[in-house]
Order: sequence, then structure tokens, then C-alpha cells
Amino acid sequence: MNLRYLKGEFFKGISYLATLVTISALFFIFGKIFIESLPSLNLSFFLTPESKAKGFGGGIANAVVGTIILSVLSPLLASPLAVGTAVYLKRYAKEGRITKTFSFFIDVLSGTPSIVLGIFGLLLLVFYLRPITGGFSMISAVIALAILILPVIEKATESAIDTVPEEIEQASYALGATKWETIRLVTLPYAMIGIISGIVLAIGRAAEESAVVVLTAGYTQFTPEFKVAANDNLLFGVKIYPFQDLVAALPITVYHGFEFPMLVPQSESFASAFILILIVMLINFGTRMLLRRGKIG
Amino acid sequence: MNNEDIKLDLTEIFSHGSLKIKDKNIKLDIPELLFLGSCLITAFVTLFFVGFIFHTAMPVFQKEGLLNFILGTEWSYEKGVYGIRFFIIGTILMTLVTLILAVPVSIFTAIFLSEFASVKVVSVVRPLIELLVGIPSVVYGIFGLKVLEDIFQNYLDPFLNSISSLLPFFQDFSPERGTGVLLASTVLAVMILPTITSLTEDAMRSVPFEYREASFSLGATKWETIRKVVLPISRGGVLSAIILGTMRAMGETMAIVMLLGNTAHVPRSVLDTGYAMTSKILNEITYYVSMDEPRSALFGIAAVLFAIEIVFVGLARVAGGRK
Repeated sequence: MNLRYLKGEFFKGISYLATLVTISALFFIFGKIFIESLPSLNLSFFLTPESKAKGFGGGIANAVVGTIILSVLSPLLASPLAVGTAVYLKRYAKEGRITKTFSFFIDVLSGTPSIVLGIFGLLLLVFYLRPITGGFSMISAVIALAILILPVIEKATESAIDTVPEEIEQASYALGATKWETIRLVTLPYAMIGIISGIVLAIGRAAEESAVVVLTAGYTQFTPEFKVAANDNLLFGVKIYPFQDLVAALPITVYHGFEFPMLVPQSESFASAFILILIVMLINFGTRMLLRRGKIG
Repeated sequence: MNNEDIKLDLTEIFSHGSLKIKDKNIKLDIPELLFLGSCLITAFVTLFFVGFIFHTAMPVFQKEGLLNFILGTEWSYEKGVYGIRFFIIGTILMTLVTLILAVPVSIFTAIFLSEFASVKVVSVVRPLIELLVGIPSVVYGIFGLKVLEDIFQNYLDPFLNSISSLLPFFQDFSPERGTGVLLASTVLAVMILPTITSLTEDAMRSVPFEYREASFSLGATKWETIRKVVLPISRGGVLSAIILGTMRAMGETMAIVMLLGNTAHVPRSVLDTGYAMTSKILNEITYYVSMDEPRSALFGIAAVLFAIEIVFVGLARVAGGRK
């Protein structure tokens, strides 16, 4: 037993301890949120929109529907742009100053604090473009969220394209295929699983985002419904529901527990938090499964 | 050139991706144009976004002067004076405490995952750590507020206060509540743990195994190999992991607005309350969005924060080896 050996054992112990701390933080957070949410965690809480419940709180169906809509529509808007950008940068643009500048842009965009994007959305989409977006509305939130997740999908697509072996693209060219044919029939199908998992990741990112959503979506106790109504403040004099209407989202429901601590029962805050975690985790889990299948297949 | 010269066959365009113009050797590559188009839109959105933030903030910079704006201590809409020193100090102090809490734990966790743990253990522990990423920040906030605040107020703060004669910076100035720098930083630390851990682990794993073997063959112990070989080689990656974690901590809004206490002054101790830049923006922007000067002042905070983040992005790229 010498000092060097002891020192090694000491730091080994520290690394075990550090891991233990991380894991126990996880279990403490999950366990506590689950236990605290139990009094409110039931099917009717999940299926009742707040508008149908008495007073404040009482149901989260409106928020669940809103979150699902927002986190599906925003990737729909962002994906074509993100994938197109990645394909251009990886397959058309010459490697050099332009691609470097672009990847810096993407890094800046993905490092943007969400509050900065939130006030951008608030001033431009909600305030300046009110006649088009309807102010606090689903459209505003979807556009702002799309900017938030664009870099996520773009980066995932770039690294998925990087995994495509050069040989199979060269083989395609050797057979006389054009560049577009090679990209459409060889590169993109090969990278597809990586791209899709990037999109799924982005859905999760959009579902958990709160600062941007609070500042662009507003909040409503009602579940979204389709209708068109006259409204003189908007372009063409009509308001198209639900796109130009307020929309609820789960992160805002959770936030209400902070804003109105006297009105929202604590267990309801935790129950909506628990369901939000569950949704985000299911999405993340789905990504992992996709990637794993991609590796084997 | 009239329309008939262009052979518009959509199926042809889709399968070959080009549009031939009769009798001319010009070939329009439609897909390339589409890809270029989406690239340009992305660039435009990014530049417009950055430009919009700084443009909206410009009036307050011109009125106050950039230095006065950053160093000023008074923020008053009535007097039209805007200084954000307290918010900058709040954000910096909170971020520093977060790093002190998070960096050692995440680096040693990464060392455990990359150097000590067996493949089987890693396959269990790593997904668990990644689960922490799946917790939305607003949930972290509500958890800190409803669960940790009680613990801090009733147990941790009094304890730290009682030993504050030995350790400076631990006096409890607000025993009636648990919010403050330490509570916010503790929650932030848990939030950035998985980011730093997984990026550090990646960096350490990318060190070739031969280097470790060479070190072992020279008689070095496992720890000496980690300390003198693995960590120095992966330094760049570890540094960029820490920078990314720092960015996440500084930009965090929802959890911090609930946990830091939102009082504009320089925190007198680690247990004292403070006010972060992000919280100031979130708390007041909806009231002042229609008024030019206050709006510009709040965008000024965002612009300063954004500028710091852009510098950090550059630093992380240099540290990570992507120039």
C-alpha cells in the first residue's frame, strides 16, 4: 500500500460518489414530483379542459392538446428549411469560408437564450404583425418555436449526412446518376433515420419550451376548435380559429403554479409537471429507439 | 425567350432534377436552387433575428451610452434611467456558483463513465443521466420552488448561517424565505449536469486507448493516467462542454425567475436574493412592449446577454477545435 495507490483509490471513490449524486438527484426529483402529484393524477384531470372545470385549474386537456399541436406544427415548418440547409451545406456548397460562417450562424442560433427568442417573437409576431398572426396565437408560437428548433434539426441532419459512406455515393455517380438522383435515392434514404430522430428530438424541445411559448402563445382555458369568425382588427376581416387564436400549453400550466400560488392547488402543478415530463420523455425515448434501430439495420 | 422554349415536364424535373431550356446550353438545376433557397432563408432568419434584437436595443444604448447602461445601478421607467449592473452581477454570480457546484460532479461522473465503469454499468447509468435532460426547465423551477425552498429555508440556510462565522459569504439575510442564489444555482447545476457530463465523456472517450496503455506500461496508476494523460488530451472538449453548460445556465429563464428572489441589489451572500438578466426581461416585457423607451431598455438587456452568448459560442468552437 503506497501513497500513489491510495490516491488512485481516493479519486476512484470520488468518481463513484459523483455518479451517485447525479443518479440520486434524478430519483429524488422524479420520486418527489410523482408523489406530490398523486392527489390530482387521474384520468378526468387529464381529459377535462380547464374551461369545463370549476374556477381556476381543475383540468389540463386544453394544455395537452395545445402542447401537442405546437410541438407537431413547429417541426413541420422548420424541417424543410433545416434539412434543405444541411443538404446544401454538405453536398452543394464548397467547403470554406461560407460553410464555416454558416455553421457559426447555426451555433449562434442554437445557443440563443430562449428569452431572447421569446421577446423577438413577442415584439415582431405578436405586436407588429398582429393583423396577420392575431397577436398571441398559435401561429406566433409555431413560428417562434420553429426558429428555436431549426438548428436542432439542421445539426442532426448534417451529422446524419456525414455517416453516409462516400463509396455508395460514388457508385451512384458511376452508374450515371445525376447529383439530385444521388441525393434523393442514395444519400437521403441512408441518412433518413438520423434526420427523423433529429426531428423527433426537436418535437421534444418544442414541447418542453416555456419562455418562448409564454411570450407568444398566450394562454386559454379552451381547447382549440375550428371556426372562422369576423374580426375587424385582422387582415381580411376574419379570424381563423384556432390558428389566430390563443393556445394553451402544458409548460404554462406548470408556470401558473408560480404565478398564482393561491389559486392553483400544489398537487395540480405537480400533476401537470409530471405529465409534461412523461410526454417529453416518451419523445426522447422514441428518438433513442429510432437511433438504435438505425444502428442495427 | 417565350414560354414555349422551356420544356416544363414536372416528372422530368423531379427525376432528373433539371430543367432544360431548348437550344440553349443552360441547365437549371431545380433541386440545387431549392436547397440554396432554404439555406438563404435560414441565413436571412438568423441575421434578421440578431439584427432585430440589436436594432430594437439601439435607442437605449444611444441614450444611456453602452458603458452607463452596463454599469448603471438605477433602473427606473419614470425617470427614464436604465442601468443593469445588478442584473449582470446577479447573472454572473449565479452562474459562477452553478459552475462551482456542477463542474466537479459532472467531470468526475464523466471520469466514472469513461474510465471506471463496465460496459454494462454505462448502459444503465448513461440513459438515466440523459433522463435529466428530459425534464423541462419550468418543471425544475416548480420543483425548486415547492420542494427545495422549504428544505433550504428550514434546514440548509440556518445550518450554513450558523457556520458563517467560519466561512464568509454564507450569512442568511432573509430567514423568512429560501429563495436566493444558492437555491437557483443548485437547481441550475442539476440542469446543466447532463450537458457537461455527456460532452466531457465523449471527449475523454475519444482519447486513443494506446495512450492509456503506454502510460500504464510506464508504471503509472489508473488515476495518474487519467490525470496526466486522458484529461490533458481531452482538455479542449472538456472546456467547450463547460462553456456550453455556462451558456445554458446564463440563458435560463423560467427556473430562475421562480428561485432567485427577484430583488435588484448585489447579493450580500450566497444565500441572499438577486435578480438575473433573463428574469428582468421576462417579468416586465409584456407590460412595456408597446412603449418605445422601456421596450428598448429591456431589449438592451437581451442584446447584452446575446452578445455574451455569441462570444461564448466562438470560444466553445475554438476550444472544441472547430475554428
